[in-house]
Amino acid sequence: MRVGLVGCGAVSAQYYTPALQALQQSGMLQVVALFDPNPERAATLNRSFPRAARLDRFARLADTGAELAIIASPPRYHAEQTIGALEAGLAVLCEKPMALTVAEGRAMIAAAEAASRVLAVGLLRRFFPATRTIRDALSRGLIGDVVSFSFCEGNDFHWPVASPDFFRKDIAYGGVLLDIGVHALDLLLWWWGQPDEIRYQDDAMGGVEVNCRLQLRFSRGLRGEIRLSREWPLLNEYVIRGTKGWIRWEVNEADRVQIGLAGSRYILDAALYEGDEKQPALLRPAENFHRSFIAQLRNVVAAVRGHEPLCVSGEEGLRSVALIEHCYRHRTCMSMPWLSESEYRRARTLNAS
Amino acid sequence: MFRVAVLGASGFIGSRTVEMLHLGGLAEVRPVVRRVARLARLSRFDLDCRIADGFDPSALSAALRGCDMVVHAIAGDPRTIVGTLAPVYHAAHAGGVRRLIYLSTACVHGQAPAPGTDENSPLRRGQLLSYNTAKVRAERILRRLRRRGDVEVVFLRPGIVFGPRSPWVTNFVTDLLRGQAYMVNEGRGICNSTYVDNLVHAVYRAMTTDGIDGEAFLIGDTEEITWADFYRPFAEALGYDLRDVHRVPPCPAGRIWRERLEALRAARPVQALCSLVPHRVRLAALRSSRTSPWDPPPLPVPRATLEMSLLHQCCYKLPTEKAKRLLGYEPIVSFAEGCRRTIAWLAFVGYPVVEASSWLYSHSLPAALQEATHG
Repeated sequence: MRVGLVGCGAVSAQYYTPALQALQQSGMLQVVALFDPNPERAATLNRSFPRAARLDRFARLADTGAELAIIASPPRYHAEQTIGALEAGLAVLCEKPMALTVAEGRAMIAAAEAASRVLAVGLLRRFFPATRTIRDALSRGLIGDVVSFSFCEGNDFHWPVASPDFFRKDIAYGGVLLDIGVHALDLLLWWWGQPDEIRYQDDAMGGVEVNCRLQLRFSRGLRGEIRLSREWPLLNEYVIRGTKGWIRWEVNEADRVQIGLAGSRYILDAALYEGDEKQPALLRPAENFHRSFIAQLRNVVAAVRGHEPLCVSGEEGLRSVALIEHCYRHRTCMSMPWLSESEYRRARTLNAS
Repeated sequence: MFRVAVLGASGFIGSRTVEMLHLGGLAEVRPVVRRVARLARLSRFDLDCRIADGFDPSALSAALRGCDMVVHAIAGDPRTIVGTLAPVYHAAHAGGVRRLIYLSTACVHGQAPAPGTDENSPLRRGQLLSYNTAKVRAERILRRLRRRGDVEVVFLRPGIVFGPRSPWVTNFVTDLLRGQAYMVNEGRGICNSTYVDNLVHAVYRAMTTDGIDGEAFLIGDTEEITWADFYRPFAEALGYDLRDVHRVPPCPAGRIWRERLEALRAARPVQALCSLVPHRVRLAALRSSRTSPWDPPPLPVPRATLEMSLLHQCCYKLPTEKAKRLLGYEPIVSFAEGCRRTIAWLAFVGYPVVEASSWLYSHSLPAALQEATHG
């Protein structure tokens, strides 16, 4: 399959490049085109894919014979570039978040339907053996009825962003919820479906949110909280509690989960392996974080070929975008207890504006 | 309203300076950070942020142009402390800045200053800690630059600056959770605490007070507290008793040299030489250092660093009379309130705080602090 890579920034350099190189070596695909408005970034990636054409305009992508476009540019370009690629007859894998707004996302899905082309969304965590195991464990009642959950994710920000635009509200549209929270919300929707109630708070004061908290409730009585930060290392764990035990997952540990059973003194700290349903044998270690990228690309290529169903479609990707849009529309100011009273009054005014 | 550039705006003190000046409507703030990723914390605000490395004169000139004041809150190693001064001063000069507020430290007088120390006490260059020596050098360099330039310079020398995001608090809390927190001298030494808002208040006073060019000011909280007083609120907030904290002897002078030798031994060229030692000899040495599987797991006992040893043996509360007299400085947040806000922040970022405010009313507070707390 002939692939065009659109956006040659950090995510392309750090993750897509090695994954695409591995699949190119195996003969599954070939990178034929690179596009980035910054010619230096495109030139850097061109060293990894010397046979790919460097495009000066996005519109030239269709001329390269590419069948699949990977849209890894900043989110504000996702809708425009995805629709452009679909209309030119290409299938698309669009990085997360799929779009900035529901309206954009719907337009992307409509374009895919009109062109009868695949639209996949890059929600990588769906390909982690750990998150798949958790889904299986939950659906089979391993920890009984799920009662509560706590997702905690945050770090001192160190992603090598190239431009201050990444942090500007008028350009980036959102902060940590849009960037990292989209993963947490996608997993939540995948595991339990749509929540009934959402309460959202963040610390945006004229800019984008750096910290946020979501409190959610589901119809079965399940309640939980998501806490995200872009400025401070949080516990970086997802804990799900049920009537018969709990599951703990460390963020981005793609091939490991911990399970505690109620009444047991011991905790199972499990490395995941691929196995055979018929006999309990460990065939080979499950995919790690990096190889999950390859698994994602394999699925998209197979889905475009019609060989297997697509794991994360445009409709699936749109669900987390809709939740984020709801949160931003109903945001309230987080309690920031280190501020003086007058500072907090000002913070609330800025948060509401 | 005047315009102020804050260098090192993403750090602990820098970010609170930006927050207080902006939310308080005290100044038009221009945060300056050294690379794009450092904008993350500041992106909560809609501010005119700039990227400029403290060593880059042209980037600094662009960042400081049009500002009335500059706050130098760049933290780092001795090379950064000393090396950023000339580029910053020259850029401030070129940009028409009126005054530079330099965040120095009370440690220019040492971690355990002699009784009677004040701003007029002579500063020694050859101190045991390279940080102190670098800060002393920094003040001297800035005084020299001032003699040749037009930008006024004011030096603030805060003590142990604490508050949300402060390493003094987070390091202690992290050590406590790992069973590695310790005190030298039973925690009886004086902690020259400075709640971060009090320091930012001093920064504001230093920007708005005339006739203080070239002056240095010690900055601190009102209360005289010990290190045990300082640690207790945070320990109790996490459900610990101060008795859970290890009591350790001070770092002996001989160990400083041993630590330096260790560092030398770990250096790459020395390791390269070690690799020439025959493999069998190295293997034998390794085997002899292994513990038996029958041994119980070792219980690590922390060892005091030189810096903490000196701090915990401090027996002098540094005076702030000069700051009060010339700057009109008066701490705006009590130590107790500073602790309360810091504990609330610990809960905010997910530390396992048991109950954020219970310690405030506990019997363990010194009477003076209880009075301050209850107004």
